[in-house]
Amino acid sequence: MLGTLGRYFNLFFITLFILVGLSFVLAFFFPGDPVFNLTGMSLEELPTSAYTKALADERWFVAFWYYVQSLLDGSWGISTITGLDLFAEISTLLPATIELTAYATIVALLVGIPLGFWCGLKHHRKTDYAFMSISMLMSSFPIFWLSLLLILVVSLQLGWLPMSGRLSLLYDIPHYSGFILLDIYVSDHPYRQEALMDALRHMILPTLSVAFLATAVFLRTTRRAVVDVLEQDYIAAAQTRGIPFWKIFLRHIMRNALLAVLPLLAVQVSTLVTNVMIVETITEWPGIGDWLIQAIYERDYSAIRIGMLVVSTVVVFVTLLIECLSKLFDPTQEQFS
Amino acid sequence: MILLDIRNLTLEIESNGVLVKALDKVSLSICEKEIRALVGESGSGKSLIVRAISGSLPPQWIITADRLTWRGQNLLKMSKSERQKIMRRDIAVIFQDPQAALDPSVKLGAQFRESIPNEFINSRWWWQQRAEQNRIAWAQLTRVGIKDVKKCLNSYVHELPDDVCQKFMIAMALVSQPTLLIADDPTRGMETSTKRQIMSLCKNLNRHSDLSILFVSHDLLAISSIAHTITVLYSGQTVEDGPFDSVRRKPFHPYSKALLDSAPSFRPELQPKSPLTALKGTIPTLQHLPIGCRLGPRCPRAQKECVNTPVPRTIHKRQYRCHFPLHIDADENLDGKYEGIDV
Repeated sequence: MLGTLGRYFNLFFITLFILVGLSFVLAFFFPGDPVFNLTGMSLEELPTSAYTKALADERWFVAFWYYVQSLLDGSWGISTITGLDLFAEISTLLPATIELTAYATIVALLVGIPLGFWCGLKHHRKTDYAFMSISMLMSSFPIFWLSLLLILVVSLQLGWLPMSGRLSLLYDIPHYSGFILLDIYVSDHPYRQEALMDALRHMILPTLSVAFLATAVFLRTTRRAVVDVLEQDYIAAAQTRGIPFWKIFLRHIMRNALLAVLPLLAVQVSTLVTNVMIVETITEWPGIGDWLIQAIYERDYSAIRIGMLVVSTVVVFVTLLIECLSKLFDPTQEQFS
Repeated sequence: MILLDIRNLTLEIESNGVLVKALDKVSLSICEKEIRALVGESGSGKSLIVRAISGSLPPQWIITADRLTWRGQNLLKMSKSERQKIMRRDIAVIFQDPQAALDPSVKLGAQFRESIPNEFINSRWWWQQRAEQNRIAWAQLTRVGIKDVKKCLNSYVHELPDDVCQKFMIAMALVSQPTLLIADDPTRGMETSTKRQIMSLCKNLNRHSDLSILFVSHDLLAISSIAHTITVLYSGQTVEDGPFDSVRRKPFHPYSKALLDSAPSFRPELQPKSPLTALKGTIPTLQHLPIGCRLGPRCPRAQKECVNTPVPRTIHKRQYRCHFPLHIDADENLDGKYEGIDV
């Protein structure tokens, strides 16, 4: 177990190092001055330090060393367009993205996995075919179109839900953690209850659009895993022992199917994050995806560099975390290590 | 008394829109204290029979039978829970691949506790129950000859060697004190010493605990050491049935003869380095089953009539399904008579 943890730590840090290296090299590939791309300021504007000296002398390897240090310090440079500090920017943006992703994932898991079990147990019957067709349809929806469609119908025509943003401008909630629900909860705003409801109403549309696709994927993955487990000899063997089906389901089918689903979810993380970024742009959710796409429009190179680094770090971390957990939970994995 | 009685069991599987008879009128019966061997090549449907008896076939497969009874009760007509009860208490099955037949993600101890019938546990509280279950598990596993019981109970399947898993399966099957043990190729791929241990275990159980055994295998040598009666299966059809010694001495069906001849250890008169006799061709696949007697295309004695399925015929205690049986017809020229016929 310690070995597995160690291996994943290693993997994480090596990947991270490569990513940092890439983000450093990126500054040279972008048009313009590499120093400007790295820090958002020209050499003359920068306060003199060992880092700036290395940059000025074009001792790139030394500069890279200081670059890694500055990343760890949290001095990530400033945006070339707005001039805002990138670290402060991202620490308010990232929680919003994580929040949206988390809610969408929770919804998708709560709907997709039980339905997947249901379909798997009823495989090749009418219920199964119905849900399979629906999920096929769901997973083939382009997300940007779905999101627009939802806004058109639910917000504009029916007027049930707000169409963009994260919270109505009426409520001024002080920044605490960046997670809006938590922020509202800890704030002492006089209309806290109303603010909470408003935040929830804002959340529904983007969450649903992201969860729509993820649900379909989770449903199909789970169904496949359940069907595979049902075909195994040990299920037949348990039946010949005269164990009632619900016991077999609880003790053998559920466990093995979930163990098979878990590593497959890791593959879905990057798709999920991409979808979240698209939805953020459309619904103007103040997350990192919206911000990053804006930065790309405005050729804000220092922001692109750091945005890419942060997003990929999150993706790598979550993917490896899920894989690591599935390794730790699944006793059969030991035989391969 | 007859425990399990199967008459004309037919199993149809849909394959590309066509119904294929994977089992065609299989008949088999097991009496009390009997060890019956069920013999056939791989793919002849031995395991399907086992699964049909235990009721673990996929629901879309069609089972029909004139009789499929356990102590006179119809297994096909009874409710699910009644059948589960019989499987839980009276019939036990051990599978050919113990590694696949045990859940890989649950420790063996938990799997063992699960198969102990509730009636055996008298304690009230769960910790007492657990202790009692562990006691039973310990006794059973020692009985089948597992040395490191503690390690076995605390391990996952993949951590243990095959023979320990097989012994564990046997112990788990026997814990409910069944009347019939169905052993589906329990010695496959095992080394001789382990094989012998398992065989003698079966034999002892039969002798001392009056356990009936349906021993499914193609290992003739192993069968000869324990079986009282034998049923020969070819491509989903029972071809011959009878007391083992008598079948071995004078097989009626050409397939039984070919099967017995294929085991060199059964033929003391065999000269060293002489070629082994074997039927030409291979067992037909489900998609290309011949009509009539399924041995037809491979049979050295086949004639025109063989396209009609032969009816079972009984002589003394033996039963065979063949139009032109060996050792029965007094006409010694039988072989010579058909030489000119193009088959």
